[in-house]
Amino acid sequence: MAAPINKNTLKQLAELARLKLTTKESDEQLKDLKKILKYFEELQEVDTEGVEPMNGGTLLKNIFRDDSINLEQKAQSVDDTGRIIESFPETDKGYLKVPKIL
Amino acid sequence: MHLHDLTIKKFNQGLVNKEFTALEMVQQLYKFIEKEDKKINSYLSLDKEAAYLQAEAADLAIAKGKGVGPLTGVPLAIKDNILIADQPATAASKMLENYTATYDATVIRKLRNEGAVFLGKTNMDEFAMGSSTENSAFGNTKNPHDSKLVPGGSSGGSAAAVAAHLAVASLGSDTGGSIRQPADFCQVVALKPTYGAVSRYGLIAMASSLDQIGPITKNVEDAATLFQAISGHDEKDATSSEVIYGDELSNHKIEKLKKMVIGLPKEYFDKGVDKEIIKKVKKVVKDLEGLGIKFKEISLPHTKYAISCYYIIMPAEVSANLARFDGIRYSPPEGVKAKNLADLYLKNRSKGFGKEVKRRIMLGTFVLSSGYYDAYYAKAQKVRSLIKQDFDQAFKDVDVILTPVSPTKPFKFKEKTKDPLSMYMTDVLTVPANLAGLPALSMPPGFQLIGQHWREADILNIGHYYEHVQNSS
Repeated sequence: MAAPINKNTLKQLAELARLKLTTKESDEQLKDLKKILKYFEELQEVDTEGVEPMNGGTLLKNIFRDDSINLEQKAQSVDDTGRIIESFPETDKGYLKVPKIL
Repeated sequence: MHLHDLTIKKFNQGLVNKEFTALEMVQQLYKFIEKEDKKINSYLSLDKEAAYLQAEAADLAIAKGKGVGPLTGVPLAIKDNILIADQPATAASKMLENYTATYDATVIRKLRNEGAVFLGKTNMDEFAMGSSTENSAFGNTKNPHDSKLVPGGSSGGSAAAVAAHLAVASLGSDTGGSIRQPADFCQVVALKPTYGAVSRYGLIAMASSLDQIGPITKNVEDAATLFQAISGHDEKDATSSEVIYGDELSNHKIEKLKKMVIGLPKEYFDKGVDKEIIKKVKKVVKDLEGLGIKFKEISLPHTKYAISCYYIIMPAEVSANLARFDGIRYSPPEGVKAKNLADLYLKNRSKGFGKEVKRRIMLGTFVLSSGYYDAYYAKAQKVRSLIKQDFDQAFKDVDVILTPVSPTKPFKFKEKTKDPLSMYMTDVLTVPANLAGLPALSMPPGFQLIGQHWREADILNIGHYYEHVQNSS
């Protein structure tokens, strides 16, 4: 497999991840990521034909619960929400206030 | 009683026999922490006021004749990625430097109900990413046995605090070995529970298909006590299981133990593992054989792919989990001026995250990106299945698997920070248990017992028996 990462893809990845890397950081990351991805190539030698991917920690089944209101939990949740809102830097009518989007 | 002699059990006996009060012990511990932790830096924050109140409540309950539970008044240290209401939870990141938790994690709520006391929050690799605690944004933690050496990681502060007797026991989190490896480096005991045995509600998520909270203690019996207290179903964590653990965790029956077969996977005794470590582990095997336990050589053929598999799946989950850190909701940013919202995210995240965290976010974003998803992420998920199948197959012949914990002895500061891959390699013997969701116990002198799903009792019982025989010989 050809080295799949270069300066341009790195820049694009950083944008997707909402990270701004300095030139020094970019150079270091590129060097490290190339080396790490090179190491991962060993996986290509594993025969995974017909193997189901493992998506989680254990083979868990769906858990359903009744759609009912737990008053105790609701009270706790209102309390928690209040404290979370209190910790926001800026609020407006209980909403988190952020800079304009565009 | 001397702090060095304190275990959960001895603390409990001391309280019951009125040799001391919980408050006295907590005060004594804080004095010792103030003196000793300057050298080790295991704690990031202490909350004396809250701890004194908890200790007084425990003493009051005892004075009123209420029953003393095994954890009543027991002073614990908590890794700084586990939330305690009204205390900082920085996950050792600048991103959360000013964050105060607004609620208790489920494990904390459970321990609080048992009357335990929380001394403070311990140092770690930033967002639990690392194997030496050198990735903390708030300074290194030293190995209590040799200050030139790392304590291991990511739960380095939790392991060092217990080893240096700055807490009776502690909690850490283990995604790829993060409680077992530091416990090994600091010569204490750690249990990584079965995936789903302990609720992660209130744990700052790193890689959700792998993360588990577990105890770090001075002996196996304490690990069983603490594990039993924190385990159990929680509606707030959809992955938590209904399995209920009982007294079988701490009551070992020798006749039953002697019927067990322990597997020794040849891949874990490979030439990549330090010779002295192998020698020590082989001595353990010999000692256990001497007690009548049978051993069998087994093979876990996909072990060599565990690092690649883990270092694809974990960063993928990291890149998703850490998307929530925009520097707005969890702690107000300081001095960041932005044109618009996107610019604010960019500036906060670039300023708030450290080098290793950025590397893993980038790596995770890459392996999930279109065009590379199948070659990396999907492939790794299939290899993960094969790694789990190796264990399923092995457990048809053996009850428990015994291996070394770490391929190297504790290393020096900066020894592995220049080459991230060399740091990743230190996790080679611990990540398979996480990938397969299995419980694993790490204990001196450097061995790991891996059990079947929900069979913590098997590994705790063998560990307890070994420890008991060692102590009495």
